[in-house]
Amino acid sequence: MEPALKKLFEIMPFLFGIGFIAPLIAQIMAAAQVAAPFGLDRTVFGLAIGGAWGLIANIRGRWL
Amino acid sequence: MAVSETDLQVLAPAADTGDRSAFALGPDGLDRYTRRDLRKEEIAIAREFHGGRTWVYAVAAIVCFAVWVSFFPLAIMGVLNLPLAFVLSCVFATGGYVTSHEAMHSNIAQPGEKLRWLNELTGQISTIPIVFPFSMARMMHLEHHYHCNDPEKDPDYTDEAPNWWMAWYKTWYNRQPRVNGSIHAYKRILAEMGTPAAKKALKETLLLQLFFMATLFAMAWSGYAIEAALLWWLPRHIGLSYIRFYLSWAPHHPREGRQGRYENSYIFKSRLGHVLSMGMETHLVHHLYPGIPNHRTRAAYFALKPILKARGVDVSKL
Repeated sequence: MEPALKKLFEIMPFLFGIGFIAPLIAQIMAAAQVAAPFGLDRTVFGLAIGGAWGLIANIRGRWL
Repeated sequence: MAVSETDLQVLAPAADTGDRSAFALGPDGLDRYTRRDLRKEEIAIAREFHGGRTWVYAVAAIVCFAVWVSFFPLAIMGVLNLPLAFVLSCVFATGGYVTSHEAMHSNIAQPGEKLRWLNELTGQISTIPIVFPFSMARMMHLEHHYHCNDPEKDPDYTDEAPNWWMAWYKTWYNRQPRVNGSIHAYKRILAEMGTPAAKKALKETLLLQLFFMATLFAMAWSGYAIEAALLWWLPRHIGLSYIRFYLSWAPHHPREGRQGRYENSYIFKSRLGHVLSMGMETHLVHHLYPGIPNHRTRAAYFALKPILKARGVDVSKL
């Protein structure tokens, strides 16, 4: 079980990007009544930003 | 026989006054008999400050943890003042390390004592807000005490930074996914230790991190991402940075070459005062006597001050 967990943690930044950052972006935009660009749904926009950011963090090893 | 420069420095205090000691002097300018007498006096004074009302830490830990857990259903029900709960969550996340720290040193109850379970419970629940299992926190903290300021063996050495603003930056930098600092360094050290206790601590760390992530993801995709961020995600980051700065960097900087009993921590004056720096101004007393609870280290310091001064500690700041 532990090796599987370790594998999971290796991709955690990406998972965090789509699992938490994405809905957080969408919900902050909704609370601020800001529409997503290009007519996108806020969740789709959040997934694009969160997923890309998480993927970059996963590759670079840094969030910023 | 040639006299080295070090020898001259050792002899200097006595030579300056013309009062040369009949006994060999150490690097602190004291002979072994003076050191022994000072140590006896130091132990006698320190003994007066051990113990006390340490159950208060347990009560604080239990109450704060219960209040913090209650925030989650209350937030989902929409009956929580989120800004206030966010501030309180930051306080609980940060202060939780203090209560856990007493448990790490068994200051609430020693092994075999009737209230030992309370000591362990306090430790277990206190650091959940910062996603730091007690088993790992205790092992790493005791390693820090055993090898304080050793660049290879002190797990907290990665907090070292040249100045205060770099130290704040490093508290964040060390938490980045592939930086060997903070909890990543702890996990590496535990894996290297390889003992059953280390393996258990490592497993508990992975499980608690997984639980943290699962909670954040579940809340976020159920429409409570902002609540999850304000009650756990952000307070954890703020708490960890505050803890790393005040409990690790501030009392030990600079660390390099300072591994001796009276030099591995400093007496300093915090801009935020005694309480907000979580009693760290007199952290040296904690390293000398970990059995003195946090709330008594300041009084213990003032009682020990003449002895510490005689031992060469810079006591000018406080």
